[in-house]
Amino acid sequence: MDREQLINYIQDKFAGKIELLECGRVEPFFKIELDFLKEFCLAIRDDATLGMDFLCNIGAVDTGEQFQVVYSVASVKNKIRFDFKIFPDRENPEINSVIDVWPGANWYEREVWELFGINVKGHPMLKRFLLPDDWNQGNPMRKDWDAPDFVRLPEN
Amino acid sequence: MSEVDKLQPEEFVLNMGPHHPSTHGVCRFVLKMEGEVIKDVEPVVGYLHRALEKICENRTYAQIIPVTDRFEYCTAMSCNMAFALAVEKLSEMEIPERAQYLRIIMLELNRIASHLIWFGTTALDLGAITPFLYGFREREDILDLFEMTCGQRLTYNYIRVGGVSRDIPEQFVPRCRAFLDKFDACVDDYERLLTENVIFVVRNKDVGVLSPEKAIAWGVSGPALRASGVKHDLRRDDPYCIYDHFDFEIPTCQNGDCYDRYVIRIKEMRESAKIVRQALDKLPDGDTRAKVKMVFKPPAGEVYSRIENSRGEMGMYVISDASSKPVRVKMRGGSFNQLQVIPEIARGHKIADLVAIMASMDVIMPEVDR
Amino acid sequence: MGIIKKLPVFLEKVPGGGIVTTSLDYIFSQSQASSLWYLLFGTACCAIELMATGASRYDFDRLGMIFRASPRQSDLIIAAGTITKKMAPRLKLLYDQMAEPRYVIAMGGCTVKGGPFYYDSYAVEKGIDHIVPVDVYIPGCPPRPESLMEGCLTLQKKVKRLKMQDWS
Repeated sequence: MDREQLINYIQDKFAGKIELLECGRVEPFFKIELDFLKEFCLAIRDDATLGMDFLCNIGAVDTGEQFQVVYSVASVKNKIRFDFKIFPDRENPEINSVIDVWPGANWYEREVWELFGINVKGHPMLKRFLLPDDWNQGNPMRKDWDAPDFVRLPEN
Repeated sequence: MSEVDKLQPEEFVLNMGPHHPSTHGVCRFVLKMEGEVIKDVEPVVGYLHRALEKICENRTYAQIIPVTDRFEYCTAMSCNMAFALAVEKLSEMEIPERAQYLRIIMLELNRIASHLIWFGTTALDLGAITPFLYGFREREDILDLFEMTCGQRLTYNYIRVGGVSRDIPEQFVPRCRAFLDKFDACVDDYERLLTENVIFVVRNKDVGVLSPEKAIAWGVSGPALRASGVKHDLRRDDPYCIYDHFDFEIPTCQNGDCYDRYVIRIKEMRESAKIVRQALDKLPDGDTRAKVKMVFKPPAGEVYSRIENSRGEMGMYVISDASSKPVRVKMRGGSFNQLQVIPEIARGHKIADLVAIMASMDVIMPEVDR
Repeated sequence: MGIIKKLPVFLEKVPGGGIVTTSLDYIFSQSQASSLWYLLFGTACCAIELMATGASRYDFDRLGMIFRASPRQSDLIIAAGTITKKMAPRLKLLYDQMAEPRYVIAMGGCTVKGGPFYYDSYAVEKGIDHIVPVDVYIPGCPPRPESLMEGCLTLQKKVKRLKMQDWS
């Protein structure tokens, strides 16, 4: 299944609830709504033509103005790969957990919660992961974060 | 009945790490034990979290290549390759053919070096010291080749955006061929030490069995996935660089236990030697790097590129906004998922089996913590 | 050890006792320097170079150094690799568990002053010398095995200058 067929198939299957983003000639990128996340993930995993059973990566992004959470999925049998992203709120970011769909999402979501402060609803164990146990300086990966001993590389 | 016979075993919590003799880095396990049997394992990580991703947000694209070296230092060439591949995909760059062949040679030699580290440390964890010394002896020959090319033994900064940083010197090809000629005999030596060794077999057979469905659901990739019977290798299924020009096999095994993971990696070392030999035979002349500006600005966009590392799938997710520094670089290492799945396969085993499982999964902590 | 404290004081008073004290100093410090056992403590990239230095080509055993797994059995920590803020209390705990006389070698740029992670990293301890007292610093990223051996020989020179009174 090549790139054009994949885009057409997904857009037909989820018509109205999914939006294709401009991304040049790399793998297709879709945007979906926050509430539709769990249903979408279950559908693409159980679909016979797609069969996306392998979660490659979950990454959160802070562009300065908005948050994004990007999911990269792949299919081992059918050799397909695409990405999709959701846009949580800026003030009170919250997403649903996809741990029931892909158990491997466990630690990725913990990291998103810890470093960005995006709450993950339905996750069984949201506790300290990468930062020290007595860390009280906020969410360091946000673009507006700062601390007294944080030294930036000088511009030159 | 004496007092001792009336005692019932109780559950207790044992802490293992973060500093322990198993040389896989700083990982801590909190074990719930009943007697000698493990009821539950909780890995506690973060002891090597160096904020590589925050660093990448304030560096130019050329300055990020040495940072990716420290992401997975046993296969630093692959990390450079993953990042360069992502940026080249974004900007749709043409790479000269000689650069592609040199990249393949370096990547496969690095895979052999990484498997030799795994081999030495696995044997050391299980109590055998000779394989460690044998493995590191061959690895020194490979590091000589790398040092002759780029000057460094561990963190190479060699594969750059657009190609490689410099051409190989004249003595590289004869020395590489001499190494490959004796390497097969060396792998036979290693097999003679461990493959049919009764102690090694008893400690590894039927320990830590991972079923293929569980492996895919938990995101395990690389040799650990192939040992469970799934024939999935990104060099064949999603070819990058020019891997489709080479002829090599993808070994798989049936059981998915620690012994199979050992057998797979020994076979992979032989296959990598085959690939390097083919690449040396077909090496063309030409440029080693496409014309790339010093302060390089790719077009705006985002891409997730993935390569087959010796520990699994290594991915780099790069977002660019057409300036000289990326907005976000997210690194994904194979060991992240391998460590996640260890609690699932270690329940019911004893502590010594946990050491064998950890060694066979080949987890490197900076891939987990970044 | 009580006898180490009292013996030099006693010998100074005896005529000709100084010769015995200095000979004993020489014997003890030479034997200590030739057999420094190091704790296997490696966190990051420098740990691989430490293992390579202990392996076949550059052999640590010819300097008398072998690795021990427990801090109670070693007298040297080669802190190889980045020390993060989460790991720093554990390094202090390991150092406290070692018996005197004990030494620390800071191997690699990260332990000297933060190395490549000095700028833009929120979780790295910029140098270990405010956690444990360091005897020898070895720069490099990672330092070559020859540099590491030069660092160990420097430490041996330092140990050979010690006298018995310095230990107690």
